[in-house]
Order: sequence, then C-alpha cells, then structure tokens
Amino acid sequence: MDAIFSYLVSSTIGLPWLGSLVLVILARANEKTQHWIAFLFSLLSTICAISLISFNGPAAVIFPGGGVFGDISLMADGLGIMLSVIATGIGCISILFSTAYMKGEKQLSRYYSLMLFFIGAMVGLVLSSNLFYTFVFWEITAVCSYALISFYNDDPKAVRGGMKAFIITQLGGVGLLVGSLILYGTLHTLHIPTIMLKLTNIPPGVLSLAGFGFLIAAVAKSAQVPLHTWLPDAMEAPTPISALIHAATMVNAGVYLLARFYPAFYTVPGWKDAIIMIGAITAILSAIMAATAYDLKRVLAYSTISQLAYMVYAVGVGDIFASQFHLLSHALFKALLFLAAGAVIHSIGTRDMRLMGGLGRKMPFVRSMFIIGALGLAGIPFFNGFWSKDAILAAGFSHGPMWAYLIMLITTGITAYYTTRCVWMVFLGEPRTEIHPHPVSPVMKASLFILSIGTLTSWGMGGRLAEFFEHSLPFHHFHPLSIAERFAEVFTFPMTYGTLLVIATGMVVYLYIKRVRGVVHDFRGIIQFAENGLGFDALNAVVSQVTIYTAEALRYTQTGVLNWNIFGMLLGMIAMLGLIEMGGL
Amino acid sequence: MTADFAFKSLLLLPVIAFPFIYLIGRASVRLSTRNTGTQRNPAKWIALFVMLLLVMPLVIVVKQFTAQGPFSTFIGSIELKMDGVGILMSIVVVLMSLAVVLFSDHYMSHEVGEEKYYALLVCMTGMVMGMVTSTDLFNLWVWFEAMAITPYILVAFYHDRAPALEAGVKYLFQSAAGTMLVLFGIILVFMHTGSLCLGGSCAIEIPKEPALVVAGLLFITGFGVKAALVPMHTWLPDAHSQAPSGVSAILSGVVIEAALIAMIRALDMISPVFTNAGTFLIILSVGNIILGNLLALRQTQVKRMLAFSSISHMGYIVLGIGITMSYGLINGAQGSFFHIVTHALMKGLSFMIVGALMHAYGNSKGDAHAPLEISDLNGVASRFPGLAFALSIGLLSLAGIPPLAGFMSKWQIFVAGFETGNPAMIGVVIFAALNSVLSLAYYAPLINRMYRQKPTPYLAKAGRIAFSMNMVFFALGILIIVVGVMPGTWNWLTNPAAQIIQKAFWGG
Repeated sequence: MDAIFSYLVSSTIGLPWLGSLVLVILARANEKTQHWIAFLFSLLSTICAISLISFNGPAAVIFPGGGVFGDISLMADGLGIMLSVIATGIGCISILFSTAYMKGEKQLSRYYSLMLFFIGAMVGLVLSSNLFYTFVFWEITAVCSYALISFYNDDPKAVRGGMKAFIITQLGGVGLLVGSLILYGTLHTLHIPTIMLKLTNIPPGVLSLAGFGFLIAAVAKSAQVPLHTWLPDAMEAPTPISALIHAATMVNAGVYLLARFYPAFYTVPGWKDAIIMIGAITAILSAIMAATAYDLKRVLAYSTISQLAYMVYAVGVGDIFASQFHLLSHALFKALLFLAAGAVIHSIGTRDMRLMGGLGRKMPFVRSMFIIGALGLAGIPFFNGFWSKDAILAAGFSHGPMWAYLIMLITTGITAYYTTRCVWMVFLGEPRTEIHPHPVSPVMKASLFILSIGTLTSWGMGGRLAEFFEHSLPFHHFHPLSIAERFAEVFTFPMTYGTLLVIATGMVVYLYIKRVRGVVHDFRGIIQFAENGLGFDALNAVVSQVTIYTAEALRYTQTGVLNWNIFGMLLGMIAMLGLIEMGGL
Repeated sequence: MTADFAFKSLLLLPVIAFPFIYLIGRASVRLSTRNTGTQRNPAKWIALFVMLLLVMPLVIVVKQFTAQGPFSTFIGSIELKMDGVGILMSIVVVLMSLAVVLFSDHYMSHEVGEEKYYALLVCMTGMVMGMVTSTDLFNLWVWFEAMAITPYILVAFYHDRAPALEAGVKYLFQSAAGTMLVLFGIILVFMHTGSLCLGGSCAIEIPKEPALVVAGLLFITGFGVKAALVPMHTWLPDAHSQAPSGVSAILSGVVIEAALIAMIRALDMISPVFTNAGTFLIILSVGNIILGNLLALRQTQVKRMLAFSSISHMGYIVLGIGITMSYGLINGAQGSFFHIVTHALMKGLSFMIVGALMHAYGNSKGDAHAPLEISDLNGVASRFPGLAFALSIGLLSLAGIPPLAGFMSKWQIFVAGFETGNPAMIGVVIFAALNSVLSLAYYAPLINRMYRQKPTPYLAKAGRIAFSMNMVFFALGILIIVVGVMPGTWNWLTNPAAQIIQKAFWGG
C-alpha cells in the first residue's frame, strides 16, 4: 500500500515534469504532437491526483536529503490532495483548451513545457511537508508564472507584467523565507508536522515574526492589497495561463499557506486581525476596481483578487473549511469565466468590453457557459459560489468583527453589480461595433462544458470534503455537515436572505445606472481614480523609480580614475581604524 | 602514487609545465609559419594534457584527505598542508581551469599570443593551490603575489585595446597598493610575535598588542583589494569585463575567492587579539551586496553586469564567513564555502556563454572583441536554444532561484544568520534576501531578451558554437541543477573547510 502511495504521489509531480522535459526535447516536433503530448501528461497526472483521494488520512513519502535542507518529504492530507486535484484537473482542462487556443503559435514547446512544469511544482508546493521544499516549489511556480506572463516576449507590456509579477511575488517570498529560517533557527527542523507539535517550544517573538512573514508571503502570492498590483498586469499572459495560474491555482497558494499554518499562528497577537483587515480592504477595493475596468480580462483579474480576499477573510475569522470550500468553487467558476472570455477574445480579437456587446446571439454556447460562471461568482443560490460565500459570511457574522462583516456583505453587492455589467456589456444588449466572430472550436466548447458541470455541482461535495479534512488534518478543527444539514443551516440563517437581497440590489443597480448616464458622470473623478488602480500602481512606480535613481546616482562612485580608487581603499582603511578607535567595536 | 608525491606533483606540475607550454608554443608558431606558412600552436593541447594530468594527483589527494584528514608535505623546508579549505579550493580551481581550457580551444584559437594565455592559466592554477595550502604568513604572501601576477597579464591580454590595457594597469596599481598594506601587516605581526606560522601549528603566545589589531585591518584592506570588498572593489568591473571570457570566469569564480581565503588565513593568526574581525567582515559584506546589485542594475554590457554581480556575490560569501568568525556557527562558513563552489559554477558558466556569443558575433560585427551589449541577446534562443537555456539556468541560479545551486548555498548562509538569534544579524540576513530579489531586476531581463522572437541583425550571420564549448556548458549546467537538487551531497567537501574556520576563531 505504501509503495503504491509513494509511486502515486511522486508521479503526480513527476509526470508533468517528465512531460515538460519531453516537450523541451521535442521542441521541433510538429504542432499537433506537441498539443497532444502535453494533454496526455496532464491527464495522467490528473488521474494520479484523483486516485490519491482514496488514501484516507495523512501518509508520507520521504527522500533523504541532508543537513540544513532537511529531507524531501511529501505528505498527502485533505488540504494537499484537494489542491493537487484542482491544479492537475484545471491544468488538464486548460491544456485541452490551449490545443485550440494556441493553434499556430510559435515556440509552443516553451509554452507547454512551462505549463506542465508549473503544474508539477504546484502539486509539489501543496504536498510538501518540508518547509524548505515548500519554499522551493513556491519559487518555481513564481518562475513559471513569470515566464508564461511574458510568453509574448516582443510585447513590452507582457515583459513588464512578467517582471512585475516575478519581483512582487519574490518580495513576498522573502517573508516565507524569513519565516522558515526563523522556525529552523529555533527548532532545527523543517518538517511541518514536527513544527506543529513543538509549537510550545517557540518563543512568542519568534512565532509572531514567522507568522507575519508567512502573511506577507501570502499577501503577495494571493495578490492582496497592497501587493496586488501584479495580478491585473499579469493578464498579458495567454488566456489559458490566466485561467490556470492566475485564477485557479498559483494565486491560491497564499491562502493555502495561511490555512495550513493557521493552527500555529492563530494565537499570535494581531495575526488574525491583520488577516481580517487585509481581506476586507482588499475585497471591497478590488471589487470597486472590477466595477470600473473595461478590459474583460482585467475585470476578471480584479474579481479574482476580490474572491481571494474572501478566502483570506475566512481564514482570519477562523473558518478554514469555508475558505477552502470557496477556493474550490472559485477555482471552477473562475477558470470557466476565464476560458469563456478566452473563447470570446480568440474569436473577436479584442479584450475591450466597450467594443463588444450583443455577442450572445453570435456565440450562444459561450454565452450560456459564461453566464453559469457569472452566476457562481455573483453567489446566486444553487450555484457553487452561493454555498461557499454564504459559509464565509456566516462564519464572519458569528466569529468576526461586525465592520468587516458589513464590508464583505457590501462587496457581495458590488460583485453582483460588476458581474451583471460584464455579462451585459459582452453578451447582451445591442452590438456596439461591427464584429464578425470566428466560430468557437469544439475542443474549447468541451473544456467549457466540463467546467460548467463542476460549477453547477461542486457544492454537493462540501460534506465529504469537510469529513476528509476532519480526519486527515490533525491540527485543525472542522465540523462536517451533510448536504441536508447544510441546507437547513443556510436557509434558517436569517442573514442568508440579507445577503441575497444585497446581491439582487447590486444587479438592479447596474441595470438602473445604465439608463441614467448622469449618475456615471457625477462620479467621474472617483471612477477615473479606480480605473487607474486606486493609486497603488503609482506607488509601485515610485518605488522602482527611486531604486533606479539610486542606482544611477551610485554609478558616479565608479569614476574610473585610479587616484580615486586608491583613495577609496585608504578611506575604507581609515573608516575601520576610526571604528576601532571610537571603541564602537 | 603515494599521497605525498601526489600532493607535491599537484603543486609542482603546473609550475614546471607552464614555461614549457609557452616555449613550445612560441617555437612551434615561429617554425610552422616559417616552414609552411600556416600557424600551428600546440600550446592548448599541452595545457589540456597538463590539466587532465592534474586530475589524477587531485583524486589521490582527495582520497587521502577523506580517509585520514589533513596532511602535510615539505618542499625543501617549506611546509604545505592540505586541509579542508585547501581541498575545496583545489577542486574548484582545477575544475574551473579544465573547463576554461576546453572552452578556450575554440575561443582563443588564432589569437596572437595564444601560448601565453595557456601558460599563464596553468601557472595560475598551481599558484592558487600553493597559496591555499601554505602554512606560514611569509609563504602565503609569496604564493599570493605569484598568483596575482598572472591575472594582470591575462586581463590586459588584448594589449592593443586601450580599455583592456587600462583595466590591467588599474588592477596592477590597486593590487600593488594592497600588497604594501599586507606587507606592513606582516611586519607588524612579526615584530610583535616573532613568528609567522599559521593555523596554530606552532603554539605561540599572541601578545595583547593594539598594533596587531592594526595589522588585522591592514590584512582586511590589503587582501580585500583582490577579494573586491567594497570600497576596495573599483578595479573589478573593468578587469572582469575586459579580460578574455575564460579569464573572467576564472577571476570571478576562483581568484577573488582565493584572496578571501588568504585574508582569513592571515586573520586566523591574530584572532586572539583581533576579535572583531568577523564584525568588520559582516559590515563590509553588506556594502558589497547592495553596491554590487545597484551598480549592476543599470549596466548595458553583459560582462560588466556580471562583474558587478560578482561583487554582490562576494558579499554573500563574506557574510557567511563573518557569521562563523563572530558567532562560531558552522553553517555560516559552510554556506560560504558552498557558495564559493556554486558561484564558480554559475558565474563560470555565464561568463563563458557570454564569451561564446561574443565569439559567434565576431564575424557579423566585424570585431571579435566587441563587448556584448544587452540588446545583442535578443532572440538568441531561436538560433541557439541550448545555449540560451544554459545561460538562463546560470542567471536564475545567480539570482538565487530554487532549486538551482545558487539558492542552496545562500540558504545555508541565511540559516546561520538566523541561528545566531541576534536581531541585528537577522536584519542583515533579511536585507541580503531582499537584495537577492533586487538582483532579479537585472538578471531576468537578460532571459526575456533571449526568448524574444525578433532577433538582432547580427544573429543570422553569427558563427556557430563549437562542440567543445557546448560540452563545457552542458556539463556546468547539469552540475548547477544536480548540486541544487541534491545540496546535502556536498557536505563532505564544505564541512571540513568550515570546521577549519570554526576551529581557528573559536578553538574548535
């Protein structure tokens, strides 16, 4: 049994990586071969990931490492398995979609090999039980994300977006690095379960440094305010990449990290409050930005940030299950939305929603799929988003501060608003320009269809998922509910109806504002500000300008004059003598 | 072959061989041009033969060391001791020289003075090994100076190019100034202790003389010039960018690190008096890390950028050693020695690939020594996919991206910083980690450019990359990945070296 298990775990990571290598070698093979090799390897790893579910309870594989690096150890528990299934499954569907979307592109082997490399790394990230290797995989996903965002390397915007994503997530990575280092420095182990057992040996100062380090890492990776600016710019990536990496998987890594280490840090003073605050602020700000953006993919990107903020908030109020449940729902409906958007963009060749409109009549299938995803996002009853968002709000209502709950509640209204706006501007109403869409290929339709089934049904797994978490995660606490119990709880809880009312208001407001142009005009300034990213992009620009300016100024020290060089040497010597003389050292 | 003989031949073989390489090469060029009109230069084959021959004694010495620990040999009355540090540096220098000789086969062919190049390269290899095994301050200094003579000439190898000449002269003058300081330091030490022996092999009483602290500072400054510690670093960018690429690889991967070893050996002697040496090194390392990174950020020539990145990597190496000197934690020095190994691999790889590209562009640009501008990297992947991939590996490893080798050694240094539990030290490590992120800002654009689809006009007409070069790149690239994936397997090499430092400053 153990042997099978270790093969399965290793091949969930190993198969995509093998596929990636094969594609590098076959870089000059014909296009079709490359499409299908990529698909085959991702499908195989999906099968491996799904069969991991049958291993109840935590089990582990260890490859000996050594010294300060610890052993490479993989551990499959509820959290890890769920995220691996999402990573491989959505990866597989995205690759299937890419076979049509990327047809005829140059350098396909680079595209697919990076994508498969990413899938393997993402699985490694969530299955690793050694903090060091968690970090290693964490960084590999960042490298892949960077390389794929700047896949269209001749487009300066894509290159800039890739660099921005890389540097900001790396900046957050330093938080994870510091957290891991300080835990290792105190406990001399990197094995996560051992760390959890030895929590009482950690001095409070160390624990809070580690906790906030991890929080910074999560904020950067999951694109929360103030480190969120990279995600909208990452939309220069090919759309299947946005669906896979920037909606369904990599951006969840931050939430995963918080959820995984919740039992370790929830006692740290201020940690939970900080998470709640970040979640609430991010949720509402990014929803506002989503409501004003005109680029279809940017709308979805801001909405991803906002939905991730719900998951972060759920961790803050202590309901890990609700957070992971929403993660699952979001992965499905957001991947669906992105891929449907991809189908639209692919067939009409623009991302500007002002040029769309009335597309529903020309591509009815894509319209229906997009609307299913949108209803999930808005949280309309019986779609998966409704259940998970409601679980988060209920937890927030009973365990979190009221101000944060109200912000989250208002955000559901704004979510409904921008979702309606998006559907309306793209698919409904009258066509605004002369557009002749290309037909959508059957492969694309098939991948959309699979995801829409997921969006319609995934909530039914909630009870099983909670049970699975309950018995495979010894350091967390869950209250599994069956479907019937959940039904009862949701519909006897009065605030559920409040939420639904807010959602309905959001939708109606959009339909009303559309008629009254004057209202939009009155808020011109605010809308302009929101369109420009609420000033966060300007902040980034300032930081990078200051760095460049300093670097430029420092170049004057490299005079090239030998006299100055030798003078510099002596100056160093004198400075050191001075330090000694003053007794400072 | 006994271990003693192997050790002796390891040191003497290059020293004996190098004049022959030059003379035979020179004579053959003269004769062949006179007789047949075409140049024949066997220098590279002799050099390659010598380097391959060196591997054998090296293996025997390593075996002896792993079986029985440090051992000594005497040449005349001079004692030379192969300890952990010596083994590590010998392996690195032989490996890198071998790679460079193979790489230069095509790169340097038909250069005027090719035989000089190989002779000096082989000579330098021997001198580095001599220096890291010497057991007294005087011999350390002699070997060190002998080692330093070769790079002056090699940096100014293209002596008809003004920038190369300028770089060589700057290097020479600054080093000379440094040498004077070191010499003063040695004089002070001898005045006050009456002894020059290093490594605690002869038990001498070190008096609590403040003059010895001054001697320590003179060592830091003097050796610091060649180790490129800020603010003594100003010669490095010129020297590393103007030298032939193979030489840049050796300078950056071995020579500046060897200078650091010399500094530590010298400081070891006066450690009972100069107890703050570690703190000074940590302060200097911070300067190296930030200055190297910021200056690299705005460079337009690839080799110059890599040269500045060497300054910042030197900072990481010095940081780890400083931690061990100040706190006695083995991980610091072990990480530093590991970083010496990984830095040699990745910087060697990067410099040599850049050299290969310069060489390939030689035809199309009309000047084989024209510096490689950053824009020249555009679209390289479409013509040389393997080369572009290898350079990406090298650069990402330099930027400290896991799971490549460069990250592993940095991690070990950082671990040591956190193990101290000292908030200031933790602050320094966080600073170093942030700088690692900053370094991405200049490494990543290079990679972006290589994968662009619009190539430079030169690319189409560029020459091909020789098989011998590709072989070297492949080997180094694979090593970077393997070392990164299995970082623990290098403990046998880095641990004994780090123990030497720990013992020297903390008495074991």
